[in-house]
Amino acid sequence: MATTATLTLASTDIAGDPVNVSKVATLTKAGSTNDLDQSSGLSRVHLRSTTNKVLLAANAEGDNLAAKVYVINKSDDASLYVTITINAQTIGKLYGGDFMFMPWSQTDTSASIEVAATNWTSSTGDIPVEYALFHEDTDFLTNA
Amino acid sequence: MATTNATIDLASDITDSSLAVSNTTELNTAGTSTGVNTMTSVTKVLSSTNQVDLIATGSVSTTHAYVYINNPSDDETLYFNITIGNAGGGSATDTEEIGRLYGGDWMWFPWDVDDDICITPSTSDDMTVEYMVFS
Repeated sequence: MATTATLTLASTDIAGDPVNVSKVATLTKAGSTNDLDQSSGLSRVHLRSTTNKVLLAANAEGDNLAAKVYVINKSDDASLYVTITINAQTIGKLYGGDFMFMPWSQTDTSASIEVAATNWTSSTGDIPVEYALFHEDTDFLTNA
Repeated sequence: MATTNATIDLASDITDSSLAVSNTTELNTAGTSTGVNTMTSVTKVLSSTNQVDLIATGSVSTTHAYVYINNPSDDETLYFNITIGNAGGGSATDTEEIGRLYGGDWMWFPWDVDDDICITPSTSDDMTVEYMVFS
């Protein structure tokens, strides 16, 4: 079982010479070459809350284990954003079309990944968000 | 304004039905369709297990940026602990841990430039980290 994540960054005009970065990561368990073997699959939610909602609940048993999180704001509206937070610490804003991919240390149960449709209003429509978790924690569901 | 694209491809056969995701986004300034026009690309060698600021808020003049961090090591046991907050004199204070980047791992995320992005190597032997910031 293998999972690969590839990021490509490309621009012909942000610098004097073209920029083209491509990086492939094979997702493995912490500190080993063994593949990650568990996944949430790809999920989709529609956000309409301007306050934080838990997207992925942390499980302290996952601390020091490997977990990778993918989140994308599928809105077509470039002005609509989703604020990403871990334990009240804002990471950043995903505007329409933007995605993120990062490791996730579930240091404790306060380290949940939360999202808020911060500038949502009843006239903007819901903000669709898709996400996936790849991890190794065998007891992940016990904290769901 | 510049045009910069970020593409992610995820491929997984963990589940019985394989997963294949591909998305491309144009990197724009906050809430607009205007492309970002500033890029910083840095390679650093760290030789201490102290937590230090990797990307300080003062290095970016906007409130929305995109960050790429890569651990290019071939050793899967060596990792960087990536946190956000303010590194306190070399100790892990006042920061929230995001996650660990093991050898070969990369991360890509939006950054609201409110707090510094900090890093702690897992060993005091030389470890190389690469990062790019688009804003």
